[in-house]
Amino acid sequence: MDRLDNLFFKPTRRDILRFGTACGAAAAICPLYDAFAQDVAGTGALEGPELRGVIRHEAMFWERLEDKKVKCVLCPRECEVADVERGYCGVRENQGGEYQTLVYGALCSANVDPIEKKPLFHYQPGTTAFSIATAGCNIECKFCQNWQISQFRPEQVKSVEITPERLVGACRARGSPTIAYTYSEPVIFYEYMHDVAALARENGIGSVMISNGYIQEKPLRQLCRQLTGVKVDLKAFTEKFYSDVCAGKLKPVLDALEVFKDTGIWLELVVLIIPTLNDSEKEVEDMSKWVVSHLGPDVPMHFTRFHPTYRVTNLPRTPVSTLERCREIAMNAGVHYAYAGNVRMHPGENTYCHSCQNELIRRMGFRIQFNRIENGACPKCGTKIPGVWSQGEALAFKPREKAAGPPPEAQPNPS
Amino acid sequence: MSCKCTRREFLARATATAAGAAIYASPAGTLLAQTGQPSSRVAIGRDDALTSGRVGDQRELLCRLLDASMQKLTNASDPTAAWRTLFGPEDRIGIKVNTLGLSTQPAVAEAIAVGLTKAGIPAENILIWDRFDVEMASAGYKINKSTRGVQCRGTDAEQIGAGYESRIEGSGQIGSCFSQIVARETEKLICVPVLKDHNLAGVSLGMKNFYGAIHNPNKYHDHNCDPYIVDVVSHRYIRDKWCLTVCDATGAQVHAGPGRHPGFAWPFGGLIVSTDVVAADAVAASLLEEERQARGLKALAEEGRPTKHITTAATRGLGVADLNRIERIEV
Repeated sequence: MDRLDNLFFKPTRRDILRFGTACGAAAAICPLYDAFAQDVAGTGALEGPELRGVIRHEAMFWERLEDKKVKCVLCPRECEVADVERGYCGVRENQGGEYQTLVYGALCSANVDPIEKKPLFHYQPGTTAFSIATAGCNIECKFCQNWQISQFRPEQVKSVEITPERLVGACRARGSPTIAYTYSEPVIFYEYMHDVAALARENGIGSVMISNGYIQEKPLRQLCRQLTGVKVDLKAFTEKFYSDVCAGKLKPVLDALEVFKDTGIWLELVVLIIPTLNDSEKEVEDMSKWVVSHLGPDVPMHFTRFHPTYRVTNLPRTPVSTLERCREIAMNAGVHYAYAGNVRMHPGENTYCHSCQNELIRRMGFRIQFNRIENGACPKCGTKIPGVWSQGEALAFKPREKAAGPPPEAQPNPS
Repeated sequence: MSCKCTRREFLARATATAAGAAIYASPAGTLLAQTGQPSSRVAIGRDDALTSGRVGDQRELLCRLLDASMQKLTNASDPTAAWRTLFGPEDRIGIKVNTLGLSTQPAVAEAIAVGLTKAGIPAENILIWDRFDVEMASAGYKINKSTRGVQCRGTDAEQIGAGYESRIEGSGQIGSCFSQIVARETEKLICVPVLKDHNLAGVSLGMKNFYGAIHNPNKYHDHNCDPYIVDVVSHRYIRDKWCLTVCDATGAQVHAGPGRHPGFAWPFGGLIVSTDVVAADAVAASLLEEERQARGLKALAEEGRPTKHITTAATRGLGVADLNRIERIEV
């Protein structure tokens, strides 16, 4: 059977009754769903006095230049920052020739979310993630859904100061197996994420980064020693889109994805499909083929629905048919697990065994209706399903170190 | 009286009349309306007493220098009349200082406030402002949020994040939330930058100073900040209100800005004043270039940071950047 047949519904009487019940339940849950989708600002999951001013903490990954300037080498932008100025992200500042992060522990968001909201579909389904963010981002997507925190400076956003110890303690108290660094762009609060993730690991808690992947190799490899999973927003597959719509570049993101692949960390991709901007079949096909050839067929791809927001308010919501077509293209290109996202109760949100098409996980919004995966495998055909299915598996992850290059004498002569 | 003109001539005249009316109505057109001169004028007032000691001790001198500059610029008979050519008693006036790194001297902002009050503007209608209270305080400004006297506060004064418009405003390539001070609290703006070098834009002068009016200036430093600086000042919140630049050149800096770097300090000892906001920047930038050359420093363009935004502003019709069309008036 073609696996895409799962998308088509041929109802029996029982199915219709079941569908009606589900609709009623969905109607009741919808407000909750919307609340989850919108509610990222605020630190409801953590109590603390409102932070006045900024916290100053020494930044990692920067170099000194002349005249008290510094060069940030955390992200591919490589900002050269003069004294008293900040980098593009707005949260890293040069003070007298010393580079500082202004968001170490300055949380503007803290919520307990379903892991499905990240979305991570192959990472301990049905569990929660203690989700945090600070202000700031190192790119500017004109369709950013969280621009009220990502595109503001720390002084402009209400925040509370939370030490790594307190955060890990709060996560344990809530019973979340995972901390998610999310909502804005965790790369810009690297130092805090790094320290929290290390401490979390010691306390039996995993860490997942929900990122744009705009980070240099050295900090990325160092970070992967602490993380247990990653989701990257691959915004599009053209440099033009990245340049015009995100004020960034595609190539560094692809490089970062290959580093993730090299380390072996669990990785899922999300592509927000925006009508007319990145929804051409060729672009989706090129992207999917690249993913299969460079990252492998087992990296899940989520094609999610765009809603007008921030600086892109003149385009309509993505038609569901477009998401279905993207999913189909990806699967035809060899992607084993492609999803349609931000579409309530769509069969494309469910997980099907890539070998026998058995429905393994059924989702309704961010909730799991059933999960039939047993010991990481399809109970019907025994095929191993890629993912992280237990906390033990998550915490056992250790990144593969970068393969050593050839010895100096064996290197090609550049001349 | 009969009008014997073709339809095309009639339309051309009507368009010209409308354009003229628009220019005369805008703050930047005030000088042009009064003097009838097509070129722009920039007053440069200097005094040796400002090159040494504390500028804060020279308040009276600054007031005299500023009044004289205003008179020269406006051809008014006395300082009060000069200020009244630009400002009326009903105006709420924002004085945008720069308190990042090498900062606008509070005494310069105070001299402006004195000039305005002499012209009949109530002190309560005058607001000295920048981005953050904390930066203003560290630059020596006394924050005043009471309802009496000249107001002095940052955009963030009341509550975190509350001082900016919640709506994103597009202007050219930028998309920003503007300070409510420019969006709704003031009708006229006076920009009071410092004559200083900037490591990316080349110079940080009047136009660059309005990066402090948006919530996300860090996003707009690529390509020597061009055309972003001009996009910011082209927005109606600023373009329609900005009518005077008073560049604080009491203590300038020729290199390694915008932070304070004593090794490159330049005791210029003066003020650079103009109603043409582009001409003020063009003249100030040229003075800075001359001083750099005198000190054996490379030209800004040679260092990869040409002052492109000044040319762009002129191209967009915000003022005059051609130094041959700018009359420099020594005060």
